[in-house]
Amino acid sequence: MSDLTKQSAKKNAAADIVLQWVTFKLQEETYGINVMQVQEVLRYTEIAPVPGSPDYVLGIINLRGNVVTVIDTRSRFGLEPAEVTDNSRIVIIEAEKQVIGILVDSVAEVVYLKSSEIDTAPNVGTDESARFIQGVSNREGELLILVDLNKLLSDEEWDEITSI
Amino acid sequence: MSNLIASQKVMKHYLSALLTEDAEADAVVQEEQKKQQLNALLAQAVVSAPEEKKVEVKPPVVLPTAVATETDALATLKAKFAAAEQSQHLQQRDVPVAERLTLAPPNETPKPSIAAVSPVEKDYRQGKFQALFFDVAGLKVAVPLKELGGIHQIAKINSLIGKPDWFKGVMLYREQKINIVDTARWVMPEKYDEDFQQKLNYQYVIMLGNSNWGLCCETLVNTFVLEQDDVKWREAEGKRPWMAGLIKKHMCVLLDVDAMIDLLNRGLDISA
Repeated sequence: MSDLTKQSAKKNAAADIVLQWVTFKLQEETYGINVMQVQEVLRYTEIAPVPGSPDYVLGIINLRGNVVTVIDTRSRFGLEPAEVTDNSRIVIIEAEKQVIGILVDSVAEVVYLKSSEIDTAPNVGTDESARFIQGVSNREGELLILVDLNKLLSDEEWDEITSI
Repeated sequence: MSNLIASQKVMKHYLSALLTEDAEADAVVQEEQKKQQLNALLAQAVVSAPEEKKVEVKPPVVLPTAVATETDALATLKAKFAAAEQSQHLQQRDVPVAERLTLAPPNETPKPSIAAVSPVEKDYRQGKFQALFFDVAGLKVAVPLKELGGIHQIAKINSLIGKPDWFKGVMLYREQKINIVDTARWVMPEKYDEDFQQKLNYQYVIMLGNSNWGLCCETLVNTFVLEQDDVKWREAEGKRPWMAGLIKKHMCVLLDVDAMIDLLNRGLDISA
């Protein structure tokens, strides 16, 4: 194998990096978020509402002395609200240099995906919630929808969260 | 023309930069030379008693080199300018007059055009052809068999957020991700309400050509062989591009698959 071919093979192998994704469920759909952004997963705990906060904010929780804002993920995704169950979890994530919690129906597992296994979502729809979707992947016959957490909120909304 | 204007602007900036930089550099060089010569002169001057000796003051030295330098610099500038001007002329000549004179209005946005495949080019526009008929909420629709990508039974559809209402979601079929269209909603958005939705019983997905788009349908009716005269072909361009024509005997629509794929890819429905 020539040097050029070896280099090319290395590049290709390097390009198909494997990423880990924490998967969670919302209304029977499975979503994935980059594991590097996940700090921890908590059982559902009482969320104190904050008067005057935006409608996508459920409230705040006390996490070892720190105040963490919890986002209503269903609301952000345009889904109908649902009752909290024993499987509900608050996923503590770091995005846009902020630590927030997102309430999900359940957390499933951590999956490994190669970048070649990720396809772009169909480019239709101009709804703002379409920007969350980073890609989709076929995982053992199930569709995994990969979410870009940094786009969960707009810049103004991130700023607003800071002030809560 | 806009490229020409842009290139003209670039040329102007280039030329002005040339003139500014060279002139400044030459002025600095001349200044330095004058200083050196002045210092040399001062060094040569002899100080003596005014009564006894006459101080020989040499007449100011004419600086032929400075003048020569200036002349050279100017000549260089002029040469560069001429070369740039010539190249500009060449550029202008390269662009045909008609193109240069034709100017698109600045605010005009090009109208989106549906992918237009000449009707004559389509296989089914010549001789007999077969079409598959299927039913959606009481509406019969036909698709040319040659443009049918496949038929699948409806399986689990994964909904995606932020998509149009008629976009039901993504269905996984082996290695393929099929974009599922709620056909009734796409075709009859004005009738689509909760009652209507509840009555729907989608069972199959009709694949459009080689695309990843699939139309939901309730029942598969049959396939029929059609003659060219059996169809009232759409002739009015721009109106209902998704419709190839109307099948007279069955009083139903024959889909123009390519146009439909184009509309779906652009996120448009029947109202587009």
